[in-house]
Amino acid sequence: MGFAIGARVNAPNPQPDKRRAVLSCSGLHKIYRMGEVDVCALGGVDFTLYDGELLILLGASGSGKSTLLNILGGLDVPSAGTVQFGSEELTCADEDELTSYRRRHVGFVFQFYNLIPSLTARENVALVTDIALDPLEPEDALGLVGLGDRLDHFPAQLSGGEQQRVAIARAVAKRPSVLLCDEPTGALDFRTGIMVLDVIERINRELGTASAIITHNAPIAEMADRVITLADGHVQSERHVGRRARASELSW
Amino acid sequence: MMASALNRKLLREVKSLKGQIATIALVLAGGITSFIAMRGTYASLDRARDAYYDRYRLAQVFATLERAPEPLVHRIEALPGVALVETRVSEQVTLPMEGMARPAYARLLSLPSSGSSALNALCVRTGRLPEGGRDDEVAVLESFAGAHGLRPDDHLPAVINGKLRKLHIVGVVLSPEFVYALRPGAMFDDPQRYAVLWMNRSTLSSAFRLEGAFNDVSLKLQPGASEPTVLSALDRLLLPYGGDGAIPRRNQISDHLLTGELGQLGALSGMVPLVFLAVAAFLMNLVLNRLISLQRAEIATLKAVGYTNREIAGHYLGLVSLVLIPGGLLGIAGGVALGKSLVGMYGAIFRFPNLSFDLSASLIATALLVSLASASCGAWFAVGSAVKLPPAEAMRPPAPARYRQSVLERLGLGALVGPNGLMVWREVQRRPLRTLLSSLGIAGAVALLILGRFGLDSLDSYLERTLRREQRQDLAVSFARPVSPRVVGELARLPGVLTAEGQRTVPVRVRHEHRMRDSVLIGMSRTTSLRQLVERGGSRVPIPPDGVLVTTTLARILGVNAGDRLELEIREGERPTVRPVVVGFVDESMGLSVYAPTELLADLEGDLGAVSAALLAVVPSASPAIQERLRRSPQVIDVSELSSDIQRLRDMNGSFMDVWTLVSITLASSVILGVVYNNARIALSARGRDLASLRVLGFSRSEISRVLIGGLAIEVLFAIPIGLWLGKKWSEQFMLQVDQETFRWAVVIAPRTYALASAVSLLAAGAAALWVRRSLDRLDLIAVLKTRE
Repeated sequence: MGFAIGARVNAPNPQPDKRRAVLSCSGLHKIYRMGEVDVCALGGVDFTLYDGELLILLGASGSGKSTLLNILGGLDVPSAGTVQFGSEELTCADEDELTSYRRRHVGFVFQFYNLIPSLTARENVALVTDIALDPLEPEDALGLVGLGDRLDHFPAQLSGGEQQRVAIARAVAKRPSVLLCDEPTGALDFRTGIMVLDVIERINRELGTASAIITHNAPIAEMADRVITLADGHVQSERHVGRRARASELSW
Repeated sequence: MMASALNRKLLREVKSLKGQIATIALVLAGGITSFIAMRGTYASLDRARDAYYDRYRLAQVFATLERAPEPLVHRIEALPGVALVETRVSEQVTLPMEGMARPAYARLLSLPSSGSSALNALCVRTGRLPEGGRDDEVAVLESFAGAHGLRPDDHLPAVINGKLRKLHIVGVVLSPEFVYALRPGAMFDDPQRYAVLWMNRSTLSSAFRLEGAFNDVSLKLQPGASEPTVLSALDRLLLPYGGDGAIPRRNQISDHLLTGELGQLGALSGMVPLVFLAVAAFLMNLVLNRLISLQRAEIATLKAVGYTNREIAGHYLGLVSLVLIPGGLLGIAGGVALGKSLVGMYGAIFRFPNLSFDLSASLIATALLVSLASASCGAWFAVGSAVKLPPAEAMRPPAPARYRQSVLERLGLGALVGPNGLMVWREVQRRPLRTLLSSLGIAGAVALLILGRFGLDSLDSYLERTLRREQRQDLAVSFARPVSPRVVGELARLPGVLTAEGQRTVPVRVRHEHRMRDSVLIGMSRTTSLRQLVERGGSRVPIPPDGVLVTTTLARILGVNAGDRLELEIREGERPTVRPVVVGFVDESMGLSVYAPTELLADLEGDLGAVSAALLAVVPSASPAIQERLRRSPQVIDVSELSSDIQRLRDMNGSFMDVWTLVSITLASSVILGVVYNNARIALSARGRDLASLRVLGFSRSEISRVLIGGLAIEVLFAIPIGLWLGKKWSEQFMLQVDQETFRWAVVIAPRTYALASAVSLLAAGAAALWVRRSLDRLDLIAVLKTRE
């Protein structure tokens, strides 16, 4: 198995849904051993992320949503169950293959931005474009998130929202197949959070990148195509949103 | 290959780590400096020696004898394995140098009447070699010429066979036979008082009545010839002609000392750099471990965005190159400077025609490779754990450090040291390995300081205690030929002389079972008070009425026990062989002597107890007059004053040791500074939050400094005694490299050396702690408390 150059996703869709599946998982279990006790973070999760879709994974803290996102992004491996990226089986991938998967296909946005403090905004994006195959220019990626004038600022010179937008620029600069965002507004105030969501929404719309946003913040769900609610490591409900709200229309 | 943004990250991090990188680079530089200087000096001397011996055809076998007719050469040449034979005339003469209280001595050697020397050729430094037919022309060994400012066309007075002659110096030369020119029987070289002179064979032959004869022969062997076979065949051949026993090149005094010195240098060049490289590896590991634990989230991010383990490992290992580049440049520069001065110091003692510090590319490459390997090895363990971390786990902060109560605490340590002390103590015991390794690093530096000074202490102790205890005379008088014991009685009656005792020394070959050594038999009066023989443990051994006393080392070499019989072959006169009983052992620091009562020697030699030397105890104020009077006597060839010999030896060694002390202080301080500073930085970075919390709670700056520095103080205080002990062990180990048959100084380390080593480590550690304390004073309380960790 390998995530060869340009291996774009063209798998037959196993779901009745007519859209192409980018990522799908079935029967996902994740059990952590914490000292003497086993903690079940995921207890059999099935779901699919479709091409071009904006999916929100909603759940309270401890519902297993970060674990799910880590597994989908190839940062962690499930205890049981399978994850498919197109036709490739992620659960069989070894570490090098997972690295290659992340390198070619996944864009990550974290709650705490995870920027490298010793690098400027442009350099943080270059960190990814240096190793990607057909990346955007760092300046263009930063322009896309509205930071074209903050290229040479260090993270410490940027506000939280700006830092998160740099993180988004870094994630999308490689033109990923999927954009995975873990509580992207979790550390931001309302106004900044809206600005960040607006950027994600625009990327999804303009670049057509399949995006999954994890959040505990229910009103954000209104901007999604589809909302999956997780509780105690299980999918509790799934709902299609009729009309996607614009980020600017949200409030909480 | 590293991506460029990643390289920029590396460069930026270097800025915040500059103190740490500088100190590690300094330690690494110390390793490279000592490696290049010592290995380079070793290689330079080794190469210079080989080239010198080769070019000037140093013989492989040497023998002296009383007198043999020249035609014997053909029989020597016919011995199996012999390639070349060169015969010479060799005599000892005195040189009554103007302005010198004591005469100088010279070995006078003949040059072939025609053509150049087939073996032991001379390297002419200035002037030329004596020409045939010129009776008064002489070439002088450079060391002596230098000590007296002699140049070609100067004149040199010499007493040759009882006649004072004025020799005309035509050349100043060097000889591979006298790289180290030590007068036989002397403790140290003395260029002022020992010369080697070369003159025409015909002149010497007629002066010493050796026309058509020789008394010195050197051989070159055929490739693959058996040296022991040639030696014993030559011995058999020369025995009827008063052969003294042939020796191979390695036993020739100059080569023996040079090789011994090289051996010590080789041993040091292995030991010293090891300390630095091990410490550098440890520090690299320490700093990277901390850096990586601070950058867990960054590593996770790099992994999340798709960097491979190799790229991440390469990124952190890149830090190694940033340490290696300045450390390497500084180390090479320091190594060249130190190497040049070492070669200069050796060159002043060991005389070579072309001795310079050779800096070979392979030496630099080896030094850099070894340093790279050591630093990478330290880094690898730190980086290895970082890349193994699954990215999802790296994203979470590390689990809080676990602290436990130790046995000491349960026993009530807390009540003694208070909560501050407990914090210090728990930090130390939570990282026992780091504490241990830090202490070992500092201990290694302390040991280096001891190693740099022990030679001086041991020599001092030998001179002050051993020598003074064994030899209680003020003056020692050597006679040109053995004299009647009546002469000793006359000396005793000189005004100012308190005691005079005669001594007889004869060369012997000692055998026991299949083992054999050449040595000297010293005959002494049983009532001697000026010479004291002691056995191991320091108690006095009297001269026995029958039998002999043997130096402990000789007894060990020969495997002799008390009660065994030794075979002693006297190597002069009638060459009798006797088999006395060994009745006791003497513990001496030098030589392999055998002691017997004068009566035994008188019987052997049949000369009624003649003496070859006299020991005198004199009234100090009368000493100069007595010396003056004795030197005028034609029977006396030398008068030596023990106290001035001791002083000279001390001065000579002192200046040499001062340089070593300075070098070892510099090198050791860099190690201690490196260890303490890095530990302190890391403690500060790891515990900044705790310390800031303490400040918020109302602790003063000096109180929190104590918490931070307390742990370091424990490491240093723990390290010092270990280092002092280790230094003694290393010194003993080093002493084993010294030829045991020549010197056996006990390793003595003076209290002042222990004090110096401790003081240097405390000072270096204190400086490092102060350096870090400045950062502690600038601790931004609010910012630190806000940091997420």
